[in-house]
Amino acid sequence: MRVLTPHCLSEALDLLAGDATLTPVAGGTDLLVSWPHRPKDNLSLLDLSRLHAELAPMRMTDGHLELGALTTYWDVITYAPIAGEFPLLIDAARQVGAIQIQTRGTWAGNVANASPAADGVPVMIAYDAEVVLGSRRGRRTVPLCDYYTGYKQTRRAADELILAIRLPRQRRDVHWFHKVGARQAQAITKVGVAVVHGEAGWRVVANSVAPFVCRCRNMEAALESGLHPTGPEELRAIVVRDISPIDDLRSTADYRLNVLARLLYFAPFMPGPANA
Amino acid sequence: MTVVRTLTVNGQKQRVAVEPWETLLDVLREKMNLTGSKKACNVGDCGACTVLVDGEPMNGCLLLAAQLEGRSITTVEGLAQQRHGTAELTPLQQAFVHEGAIQCGFCTPGMVLAATALLNRNPDPAPADIADALAGNLCRCTGYSGIRRAIQRCANYREDGTCAAKCAAAEGHEGTDGHEGGKARRRARESNEGTVFAAGDVGDEPRISDVKSEIHAAAPPRRFSTVGVSMPRVGAADKVTGRALYTADIKLPNMIHGKILGSRIAHGIIKRIDTSKAAKLEGVLAVITGADVPETPYGVSPARYDEHVLAKHKVRHAGDPVAAVAAIDERTAEAAIDLIEVEYEKLPALLDPFEAVAEGAPLIHDQYPRNINTHVEQNFGDVEKAFAESHYVREETFTGNHIYQCPLEPHAAIACWDHDGTLVLYTSTQVPHYVQYTVAHVFHMPLGKIRVIRPAVGGGFGGKAAACPLDLCAAILARKTGRPVKMVYSREEMFHYGRGRHKQHMRFKLGVDRDGRIRAFKSEIYLDGGAYSSFGVATAYYAGSMIPTLYNIPNYRYDGYRVMTNKPAAGAMRGHGVPQPRFAFECLLTMMADDLGIDPIEIRRRNSMRPDTRTVNDLDVGSCEFDATLEAVARKSGWYDKYGKLPPGRGIGIGAGGFVSGAGYCIYRGQVQLSHEKPREHFQKRSIFPHANAVVRITEDGMAAILMIGAAEIGQGSDTILVQCCAEALGIPPQRVRMYSGDSDISPLDLGAYSSRVTLMAGHAVSRAGWDVVEKMKPYAAAMLGCAAEEVFARDGRFYSRRDEGTKARSHEGISDEATKRQGDEGLVAVSHKDEGVVWEEVARRYFNDNGPLVGTGCYKPPEGLGGDFKGATVGTSPAYSFGSAVCEASVDLETGKVRIERFTDFHDCGTPINPLAVHGQVEGAIVMSAGETIMEDVQFDEQGRILNPNLHGYLMMSIKDAPEIFSGLVDSYEPRGPFGAKEIGEGSTLPVLGAVAHAIANATGVWIKDLPITPEKILRALREKSAAKRGAELVETCEVGAE
Repeated sequence: MRVLTPHCLSEALDLLAGDATLTPVAGGTDLLVSWPHRPKDNLSLLDLSRLHAELAPMRMTDGHLELGALTTYWDVITYAPIAGEFPLLIDAARQVGAIQIQTRGTWAGNVANASPAADGVPVMIAYDAEVVLGSRRGRRTVPLCDYYTGYKQTRRAADELILAIRLPRQRRDVHWFHKVGARQAQAITKVGVAVVHGEAGWRVVANSVAPFVCRCRNMEAALESGLHPTGPEELRAIVVRDISPIDDLRSTADYRLNVLARLLYFAPFMPGPANA
Repeated sequence: MTVVRTLTVNGQKQRVAVEPWETLLDVLREKMNLTGSKKACNVGDCGACTVLVDGEPMNGCLLLAAQLEGRSITTVEGLAQQRHGTAELTPLQQAFVHEGAIQCGFCTPGMVLAATALLNRNPDPAPADIADALAGNLCRCTGYSGIRRAIQRCANYREDGTCAAKCAAAEGHEGTDGHEGGKARRRARESNEGTVFAAGDVGDEPRISDVKSEIHAAAPPRRFSTVGVSMPRVGAADKVTGRALYTADIKLPNMIHGKILGSRIAHGIIKRIDTSKAAKLEGVLAVITGADVPETPYGVSPARYDEHVLAKHKVRHAGDPVAAVAAIDERTAEAAIDLIEVEYEKLPALLDPFEAVAEGAPLIHDQYPRNINTHVEQNFGDVEKAFAESHYVREETFTGNHIYQCPLEPHAAIACWDHDGTLVLYTSTQVPHYVQYTVAHVFHMPLGKIRVIRPAVGGGFGGKAAACPLDLCAAILARKTGRPVKMVYSREEMFHYGRGRHKQHMRFKLGVDRDGRIRAFKSEIYLDGGAYSSFGVATAYYAGSMIPTLYNIPNYRYDGYRVMTNKPAAGAMRGHGVPQPRFAFECLLTMMADDLGIDPIEIRRRNSMRPDTRTVNDLDVGSCEFDATLEAVARKSGWYDKYGKLPPGRGIGIGAGGFVSGAGYCIYRGQVQLSHEKPREHFQKRSIFPHANAVVRITEDGMAAILMIGAAEIGQGSDTILVQCCAEALGIPPQRVRMYSGDSDISPLDLGAYSSRVTLMAGHAVSRAGWDVVEKMKPYAAAMLGCAAEEVFARDGRFYSRRDEGTKARSHEGISDEATKRQGDEGLVAVSHKDEGVVWEEVARRYFNDNGPLVGTGCYKPPEGLGGDFKGATVGTSPAYSFGSAVCEASVDLETGKVRIERFTDFHDCGTPINPLAVHGQVEGAIVMSAGETIMEDVQFDEQGRILNPNLHGYLMMSIKDAPEIFSGLVDSYEPRGPFGAKEIGEGSTLPVLGAVAHAIANATGVWIKDLPITPEKILRALREKSAAKRGAELVETCEVGAE
């Protein structure tokens, strides 16, 4: 096993360009969860810990909130300007594992790990986040909602590193996130959903109900068209076309679908009898 | 590729060479010897390894050391000295010690660090802030109540380092709860109420430090000086500073590491094992398989020894030990294990008891036809006739779940052989003697050649109640290599070892008369035993025998079948065999009360056990204040204002339960001997040898008492209780008693921490040893006081003459127990003669000058003749029984089915408590453990019999955010057979919980869930089915109306 520790970003990108087997590591909280079982002999890690000056800064520009690749959940929780414009980032950050994970885990790592249950990803997609990727070949941005191509599959090329995540600043009037886990903390999500409404329209994003975190575009369209449901079954019939939940250790497909429909139906922004 | 990193650890800058794969936790523990950071899950689930990195809490096991160049690390070892420049405890650490935040102590270092980080950023945290900050730190013992109290009250300790609570506790006899208890007792008597002691977060009762000044002023005469006082735990300071050594923390010179290979399949024949590649790996020193281990089978019940140290030819569950390796380090041992090739002939895996008993199912063990390990058949009275005469009969089926103890500390063992052939075994066990006995049996050695050392133990709950493969493999590997061998289970291996609660499939039928009085009860239970007998025979009996201790059941039939399956062996877990049947019984009784329109608490009171009763199954109930606990929980919880009056989604429920205070008979029969050499003795209805034995030696200057007893402190607090009992008997403050309970060479035999036996049995042994010392001192004290020896008594570090007593001793009504007999009635009135009497240590010195060592001994045998004469009548016998009632308040989110356990109100009859703080700690811990068991814990298996969730993120125990608010109260009670009137609390406190939770959920939702755990998925499905049925019924009604 090797750990390479570049001292600047350009060195890191050189290393990545030269070795397609390198795994970039920021906080390492996802990687180390499976550490005892993972064969390590042929593992090569690209340790990003000394790129703090280049990858950690978090800043609010005129157009965007930019989270550098080493920004942790805790950085967001303790950064006051976020609460007003992007409250769901804080809501989600506080539900990631527990404080020991929040202080170490990064938003970019959450994106890179590509877990369908990732708690940080639904809210970022709901805020129309873009992933900024860099390599020797240059930079490009990919909308987070298009970043995943399958279970644990992403659009990142082997020589690319996530440099930052950019969230556009907009006027938004609905911010809503709900995570259902089997306990109040340190729980892997059974079903989660983030809903945002703003200038760009409705965004409904669910996790743990498909091979990757996904936008529920049929549900978004229904909301755009002034849906006025009379019961959760009506929403269930719509959202079932957006997701593909499964039975697993933590829950059942049936529960996930039903609860997603019920959560949406009883959510405060939903027009209809439940909020009459 | 070793790299060098510069870290600042506890203020010291140092360069350390680290391997790229090494976690900070391993570097701290193995390279820096900072073993205060605990390895409990190793994958970031539990927080026991929490350290501060640049002031922020992080999990040491999730940090690659190579990534930490230049960072500053604080471990628990760095807290105290950072604060004061000496090893003085920080205010938070003091608060942890004094507020009951520490039990087994394994989570404590991580808790303290997480809480330190919280207080650094927020000196005055609200309860929600505390829950947020500690949500990543799991605790299996305390129920988080003491931890919350400690953080909330930390300010008291900060303002005044010599906080009054601390002083009071340190002086012992100025204790707090006892006075409060006395006061409450008087108040209770005046108002004719039953409650005495009270603790909890429902803050209207005064408690500990809140009321200290008032208490000081009004201190009433106390019967005892030390017993009844909420003194902080012996050893708590070591645990809160990371100094306490658990087995895995110990390093011996020349020590190597062992690892066990478990079977990959659940059932099969071993065709071939090839260890050659493993043996050739550099650093490997020994490899053993079934061929290298003794032929002698072992287990727990002598009639059903069916385990081998390593599988001889067959594997019976995934994880069944197949081979073991010793190597220079753990990593090499793990690598070697992966190189062992095993070829199996697969057999069908039987994962369900009904499948296993079916005709034609393969036999897991040849000696158990139809895979039935044991069948218990007990029949008292005439059940069928009584059902026929009953006003109302209801039959229901219930299913339990697979619950594992999950102590935070994984099993660990270190074995080494002395030159004279003595085996020295360090092991994380709750039964040092049974480990010694099992090792003697397997290796055909005398007990006297085996020394078992029990270091600090991080929780047991029954999972450490027998010798485990680590003990035996480590001994064999140490013998083979001539070096000390350490073996530690990973969390995953803990799950594969198993020994958790039996999953029970229960069919219950209950008949009552018009008033709800029980006429008859019939139960048929299939216990899913897993692959080996373990404790299972006793479990099958307990599942039946404890039901009639709570309610008067005139006719009772029980059929229990313990069935072998291809899963890890089930064993004894807190409440041994009883929690699931108790859950089912409580649910059924409540259902029937609702059906009959009788209040569920009222139906319990109509049937409740009375003191001095012989139950239908011949158990002798002595003291019993069950009825008082029911009355108390009803009043304290506001039951009558709430039951049936809460809005949808909110519910309240009642449950009750009780347990033995120590098993009346030993697990093995006969003398202490080599069990393989001598045939088993015919059963006699008496104990052949004492179950608890103690020695007290007084140091030559008379200043300290060395107490030696083999009772196992595993976090439940037994060292503290026993020090209190012994100090009381000796008549000296508890701070002068030093406890040695962890070494079989030093301490005489005690059967260990199981069946809730320690307080009662070991409590007697240590008191008697103390009184033995005092008897020897009396002539010397009498000579100094100028009176007769029989006129002398010892108290608070002095000897007094009864003649000097200004006030005539008054006798305490209704109490004529051993303590009164031995200490005299003087104990009952205040000792107020400060300058009279003679100093205790001077008397001791004079004794030593004349006679040499001043030593006392004491022992305890359960009363003879306990139990009836039918088969299995011994299981369930006990000198005394505890009783308790709990009310649970819960809310259920009807959108998601999620349950929130809001509040618990619990009252127990545990006799007269020795240490109320410790009692409440047991209750609080039991409530959280058992509430989690009811709604979220469950080991799951795939269709091949492999465990799907062998970790603490898949197997869910409650976090601090899930834990309810708890009010724990005790009713006035006195058990004449217990030491100073005490009986058990540790296991009995689990029993009311499951039924109370299930009832509260049913009350909130209108649906009963009869299979555990009660998950949101089950609740939503039941609600949907109910509303579909209702719609169906309405439809039928509409059609019928239409047809008319």
